[in-house]
Amino acid sequence: MEEKIIKIILAGEGGQGIQTAAKVISAAAAEAGFEVSYIPSFGVEQRGSPSVAFITISPKEIHYPRFDNANITMILQQRAIAAVLKYIDAQTTVIFDSSTIQPTLFKNQAKKILGIPAMKLVSEGSLPKASNILMAGVLAQLLGLPDVSTWQVIVKTLGKKFKTEADKEKNRQIFLLGKKFKLEENSFSQPILIPQSGQIKIEGEGKRAIIIPERCKSCGLCIARCPAGALAFGQKLGLFSLPIPEVDLKKCTACDTCSRFCPDGAIKIKKIN
Amino acid sequence: MTNFSPKSWDQASKPHLFCPGCGHAIALKQLGYAIDELGIQKETALGIDIGCSLLAWNFFDVNTVQTHHGRTTPVMVGYKMAQPEKIVLAYMGDGGGYAIGLQSLIHAAFRNNPITVVLINNENYAMTGGQMSPTTETGIKTTTSPLGKDIKFGPGFKGPELLKNIASPKAFIARASVSNPIQLKDFLAKAIKNQSENSSFSFVEVLSICPTNWKTDVKQSFDKLKEMEKYYPLGEL
Repeated sequence: MEEKIIKIILAGEGGQGIQTAAKVISAAAAEAGFEVSYIPSFGVEQRGSPSVAFITISPKEIHYPRFDNANITMILQQRAIAAVLKYIDAQTTVIFDSSTIQPTLFKNQAKKILGIPAMKLVSEGSLPKASNILMAGVLAQLLGLPDVSTWQVIVKTLGKKFKTEADKEKNRQIFLLGKKFKLEENSFSQPILIPQSGQIKIEGEGKRAIIIPERCKSCGLCIARCPAGALAFGQKLGLFSLPIPEVDLKKCTACDTCSRFCPDGAIKIKKIN
Repeated sequence: MTNFSPKSWDQASKPHLFCPGCGHAIALKQLGYAIDELGIQKETALGIDIGCSLLAWNFFDVNTVQTHHGRTTPVMVGYKMAQPEKIVLAYMGDGGGYAIGLQSLIHAAFRNNPITVVLINNENYAMTGGQMSPTTETGIKTTTSPLGKDIKFGPGFKGPELLKNIASPKAFIARASVSNPIQLKDFLAKAIKNQSENSSFSFVEVLSICPTNWKTDVKQSFDKLKEMEKYYPLGEL
C-alpha cells in the first residue's frame, strides 16, 4: 500500500452484507498497522434500501474523516448507484458487479472501471449470499492486504455464521477467488442476473398465470401456502436476482391463495374461458 | 387482467420497502382489499406509527399521516373529532401500541372513540433489530433475550383481552392472523364498518411473521406463527 490516504466507499443494498465487508476490511487494515475510520450509512429499513460504508485508511492519524471523493468505489447493486454518484470523480477507481449492473451510469466520470461478475461467481460456488466475502477479497487484493490475516479477521467477524467446517472452507475459497481474481477492464461480462422486465404469462388447462418478476422478492410465501403444490422456484430471476416461482398449471386449481398471500402483488392466476 | 393487488395501493411505490416475506405487507394487502370492498378509498385517512409500520407511509393511495411513536391513536382520534365524516385508520406495531402507546390505546377504547386501530403483532421490535417486546412469549429468543425471555419480563401481552374489559359493548375487538388472510380481511372490513355505522371503537390485532428477525425461512415462520396462535387465540372477542 502506498503511503497516502485511501478513501473507499462500499455501496449496495441492505441485506447484502456491505457493512460486514466494510468491518472486515477496516479491521484487516488496522491489523496491518494503518489508522482506519469506518462510517456506516443506511436507511431505517433492514432490507431493500441503499446501504453505504465510508472507509478512510491512512498511515497517519485521521483527525476528521471528511469525504469529498473516493479513491475506490465498490458497487454491488444497481439501485445503490445514485447514492454514491457524487463521490465518483477523475481519481476514482470504480469496481462493480458486472453480472448485475450496467456500467453506463458512471462510465464517463471515473478514472478506471473494473468489473467482477460477483453474483455469478458466488452462485456458481453455491453460496449466493457470499458476494460480500468475494468483494472483501477484491478489496484485499487492491489494498495489498495479506491473505491469512484478512481471512482470520473474517472468521473472527463471521465465525458463528459458519455452521460447519465445509461451510467455512467454501467461504475461504470465495475469499481467495476474490483476492486472486483478474478484474475485467474495458470489456465486461453481460449483466445476466437482472430481473426480467414486464410480465411472464403462461396459459393452459383453462388457466392463465401472470408473474411480475420486477416485483417478486423471492420470499417463497406463495410456494409454502399453495394447497395444490403447483408452485416451485424456477430458473427466472426476480428483484433481488434470486429465482422466482414457476407455476405448474396442471396441478393449479386457480384458488387464488398465492395472490392473497403475495406481499408484493407479483402473482395472479385466473380461470379463463 | 389486472388486480394483482388492491386498487387502493399506490402502484408507484411498489416494490415496497418491507423485507421479503414480511407479514406487514400481507396484512396491508388485506386492508387494501377491505378498503376496496367498502369503496372508501377517497374518505379514508391513515395514521402510521414509528417502527416497521412506518414503511407504509406511501403504501396506499389514501391520505396518510406519520405520527410520533405510540401517538398514532390520539392523533387519529383528534383527526376524527375534526373530520367526523372521514374513515380513520390507525396502523401500528406491538411496540408502539402495547408499550409506549398503551395509555393512549386504553383511553381511546375507554372513551369509545370511533376509530379503527390495526395492530401488527410480530413479537419483536423489528425495525431496530428484533429486540424483545411486551408480546414476546416466555422462552422466545430475541436479540435482547438471548437465553429466551425470562418470566420476570412478563408473559406475552394480550392486548385485545385487556381492551375488552374496559371498552364499550359496542366496540369491535378481534384478533386475526396472516395465516388466514380471508378472515383477516373480513375482520378489517367489520372493524371499519363498526366505525362508520356504529360510531364505535374498533380494534384488530394481527399476528404476523418476521422472517428477517426471527431468522426463519418461510416454512419455519408459519410453524412459529402456528405456535403463536395457540397462545394468542384468534377470533372476535
